[in-house]
Amino acid sequence: MDFIIAKYNYWIYIILMMIGFYAMIAKTNLIKKIIGMNIFQTAIILFFVSMAYKKGGATLPILTNADMHGEHAIQVAGYLNPLPHVLMLTAIVVSIATLGVALAIAIMMYRKYHTLEEDEILKAIK
Amino acid sequence: MGAFLIYGTIDMPDWGDPNSPPSVHVSPRYIKKTEEETATPNMVTSVLADYRGYDTLGETTVIFTAGMACILLLRRRKEAGKAGQ
Repeated sequence: MDFIIAKYNYWIYIILMMIGFYAMIAKTNLIKKIIGMNIFQTAIILFFVSMAYKKGGATLPILTNADMHGEHAIQVAGYLNPLPHVLMLTAIVVSIATLGVALAIAIMMYRKYHTLEEDEILKAIK
Repeated sequence: MGAFLIYGTIDMPDWGDPNSPPSVHVSPRYIKKTEEETATPNMVTSVLADYRGYDTLGETTVIFTAGMACILLLRRRKEAGKAGQ
């Protein structure tokens, strides 16, 4: 039971990731594929942010007033891990960039073939 | 593939464990020194803009490239559009 409580967050992200992976591979609609890609990226972002969490009264990684003026030594256990948050800020930016380019390409496909279904586009190309 | 990943979680640290590897090795240094070295109370800001400034500079390049790609793809080409269609 302790094992399940300690690890179930990872399993949730794995399920989300598999949903996104399935959507990317099995769906024929291009917009649904893009939504699947976004779900995949969100699963990875949630995974990293959950790695940053510390039990036992840790707050956001922003220094409080007392710590800022050096009245006592900074307690590492009192703050969440800032590194995964920073890395996921970068990952969110990259995911927005890929989403934008993917949607632009989808719009171009629709303008040229007047459909977003993959099999119809393949038929039109042949 | 999902089952393989779930098998991998057996060795992962527990949720919220303060002594898990990601919160033991690098981040204590950032938490302790961020006020002394950057005078910024927000650690996320200080790591993003001071310690990883080059990373953020590259990130702006990514955004610029994506924006240029969107503009180039979505721009209506007047002459080419009339001739092509």
